[in-house]
Amino acid sequence: MAARPATPASPKNVKVKEPAPGSPLFGCEHVQRLFNQGQEIMNHSIGHYKMILRGIFDSTPVVPQTFTNSQGQPTTCLTSTNLCLQCPTNLTDEERLKHGNKTSHRFYIDSRSGSLYCQVCDDIVWDPTLEELRVRKIGTGSFSGRKRKHDELFPDAMKEDPRYIATNTTLASCRANGLRGIYNAGATCYQNVVLQSFLHNPLLRNFYLSDGHQSSECGVSYCLSCAIDDMFQDFYALENTNGYTAANILSGFWISENKAFENLVTTREQDAHEFFQFLAEELHERNGDGKKPESGSEHTCNCVMHQTFYGKMQTDTTCQNCSGTTHAVQSFLDLSLGLESLVQKRKKAVKEKGGNAPPLTLIDCLDEEYIKSDKCDYRCHKCDSIQQARRLTSIKRLPNVLSIQFKRFEYKQGRHDRAASKIDDPVSFPLQLNMLPYTHRVRAKEGREGRELERSCTYDLLSVVVHVGEIETGHYVSYCRVGDQWFRFNDHNVRLATVSEVLGAKAYLLFYIIRSLA
Amino acid sequence: MDATSGKAGIIRASDDDGTMTKLSAAVLDDLLYNIISDLVLQTHREEKIAKANTAAIRVEKLASEASESGTDLAPDVRIETDAAIFDDGKVYLKGNPLKTTKEILCPKCHLPRLFHPTDGKGARKPDPTILYCKKHPYIDKPNCDIYGQMWQGPGPGRGKKKKDMEKKEESAADRPANVLSFPSATCSKCKRCILVTRLNNHMGSCIGNSGRNASRAAAQKMGNGNSGEPTPPSSQKVTPAPGSRATSPRKRDVSEEGEDESESSHKKKKHKSSSVTSNPNPKKVILKTKNSFKKESNGSTLPKSSSNLSQEQKAEYDIPDLGSVEVPPKKSTNKASSPAKKLKAVKAAQLPATLKNGRDADGESESSGGTLSSPPQ
Ligand SMILES: [Zn+2]
Ligand SMILES: [Zn+2]
Ligand SMILES: [Zn+2]
Ligand SMILES: [Zn+2]
Ligand SMILES: [Zn+2]
Ligand SMILES: [Zn+2]
Ligand SMILES: [Zn+2]
Repeated sequence: MAARPATPASPKNVKVKEPAPGSPLFGCEHVQRLFNQGQEIMNHSIGHYKMILRGIFDSTPVVPQTFTNSQGQPTTCLTSTNLCLQCPTNLTDEERLKHGNKTSHRFYIDSRSGSLYCQVCDDIVWDPTLEELRVRKIGTGSFSGRKRKHDELFPDAMKEDPRYIATNTTLASCRANGLRGIYNAGATCYQNVVLQSFLHNPLLRNFYLSDGHQSSECGVSYCLSCAIDDMFQDFYALENTNGYTAANILSGFWISENKAFENLVTTREQDAHEFFQFLAEELHERNGDGKKPESGSEHTCNCVMHQTFYGKMQTDTTCQNCSGTTHAVQSFLDLSLGLESLVQKRKKAVKEKGGNAPPLTLIDCLDEEYIKSDKCDYRCHKCDSIQQARRLTSIKRLPNVLSIQFKRFEYKQGRHDRAASKIDDPVSFPLQLNMLPYTHRVRAKEGREGRELERSCTYDLLSVVVHVGEIETGHYVSYCRVGDQWFRFNDHNVRLATVSEVLGAKAYLLFYIIRSLA
Repeated sequence: MDATSGKAGIIRASDDDGTMTKLSAAVLDDLLYNIISDLVLQTHREEKIAKANTAAIRVEKLASEASESGTDLAPDVRIETDAAIFDDGKVYLKGNPLKTTKEILCPKCHLPRLFHPTDGKGARKPDPTILYCKKHPYIDKPNCDIYGQMWQGPGPGRGKKKKDMEKKEESAADRPANVLSFPSATCSKCKRCILVTRLNNHMGSCIGNSGRNASRAAAQKMGNGNSGEPTPPSSQKVTPAPGSRATSPRKRDVSEEGEDESESSHKKKKHKSSSVTSNPNPKKVILKTKNSFKKESNGSTLPKSSSNLSQEQKAEYDIPDLGSVEVPPKKSTNKASSPAKKLKAVKAAQLPATLKNGRDADGESESSGGTLSSPPQ
């Protein structure tokens, strides 16, 4: 990275956020008065605000939570304290008014959230300029974010008058919000759940709604990417609340020549996970570099599927004889987590020790796969023979959207037939997932660096695909999050869902989105 | 330590409890206080920003009215309301918007937002004299979806089709507006109109048969025709709208499809390739200009070099913040008026700039991560 002067050190004058139509310039009259006292005061206030935000979000919470009490002793508390915007003082709620009256300092920052309190309003104030800094700090860990990089790359784009966009958007109804069901075309709920998770994936949505794949310029007949593009149009541009008929996707599916998924193309209910893989490959083929989607460690395809879902994992194999290690890197579309052995282990433990085992968690499954190493036979080049080796797989590059499959369907090759069975045990999963422990190099970094690392590995739950019922006769439903609201999609029927309903579901597929995007 | 509780004062130890008990009560109570204050803060933020923006929208509207009616001295207009001041093209707040502003105007259409759902849990009757923004609070009502819609059974089974059809026509006329029926869709191959619930089976025979894999389709057909019906569209079992259970079209022979198509009263002009034909919503507007183009490309077998395609996509996709995508002049002109694209452009702009090519687990660049396996210089 090129060394660039950090923003706070540069002598550049800070400015108030450009006024956008339909929003006020300042959070309240008092912030306005403060900022209008002159450039120097504004520079100081905003500079100090940034410093306080750094203190809150980059280091341990002990620092902003510690204040000096009336006896002059440092005290740390769990609830919020008030950091003065105009001087380096941290106060309790009771002391705040006294300090304000003595110094005429009227603005205080909540030590837990970083939000601004105005003493004159006696209320939290959401000032556009300061709030933008706070949101960026929480989201990306820096004040400029990637937006700055973007500014440099596309200077014209940013100067576009927001009024222009605003007046042209009113054509699309306020009702067109992407929330519609999809009709079941006859055992196609396994497709519907995957399509819904695509529809509410911000990266895919942005790609398709910004002409990422233009059907008018695509000559491929029955192109699945065009069909997906049409679907996004219908969901986000039409006022229609009726269900959607995914006819073009279905015909694209039937016409697809993808040999690897030949068995998928039937009129029967199929595996939603396989359909996800199928769509990912098809869309990569339509938008990507023409190589096999999971080929090679050096493969970096720029297509929307690779940018969204694909990550890389590394397997280190260490020979037990000579301690020589080899690395193999592979792309992945999703993490496939086995349940059977963990479930068996738990059952055994309960049998032996009695009592109740706590429910299996996603973390248990990830630990098993990406922290524990296993033994294998391995042909060592140095020893020039077959040796026992330790194998450890970890994630080398995390994707923007992490998809996880629990292996709930086990196919056992019986004497007569392939018998399929379903593992229906609940596996709990969190709303927020920290993937740092499963990454390639876990160095417990302290302080700011460690926090930033952790932030870059933090994911938020985006959608959940659930299979209910028996393996042959069951049904798929899904949950997707739009903003903070969860919805349950059952073919054409969409209804509100509570967080506890979502977290209580017996998930089959999980989609997590990286925090700095959400 | 003598406090028996924390800041919330909800979880309380008694005075004669031990120090540890008091301490845990205080800690727990503080944590509870934090959870509650986080929730309150979030709601406060949404509400206050919406109301501040409402105050701004209102005063801007007055200002633009004033400048339109008078001479066009727009920059000099100064308008003041109870909640905001418009001066020199900028809006300043007056007082606390939570106190000065009662309603919330939609930032997009500038119509007031409805605060309560029109049906189900927490429903209230909206004022019929007010034109509200079309984004309503979602409805939470058993057997209804978020828009208060229900679905009528997906239609008759095979035997008594004629009779059922008549019945259906009849009920369609007098059923309430929020009860929808299953639509039909056009098969993109044979262009016949098929009830949506049968579309998959139809395509299985229509495309599967004539297409690349006749044998598989045939096998499928055999399996389907079996009396044991091993392939029911099982998923429908759980989905039907109330009352539809009896007529749930669970078994459909693939061969049967031909019958449906001719009788289709749903048949409409199929100028739209995305094929939702029997849409009961009369307001539906086809916004896309590209449909006409799509149709041509659909039929043609014009081969396009795939490398060419990927180049194009790459170029588009490298733009990380989608707010910008409208600007590049390389756009073909026929796309210029798709409102959805514009709609998205705005929404996307609110997202932080997004796409980076994945992220390295260790926070370093891909190349530096790779040095691990190459020998150090
Ligand atoms: Zn102070
Ligand atoms: Zn104030
Ligand atoms: Zn295409
Ligand atoms: Zn690709
Ligand atoms: Zn060896
Ligand atoms: Zn609106
Ligand atoms: Zn057909």
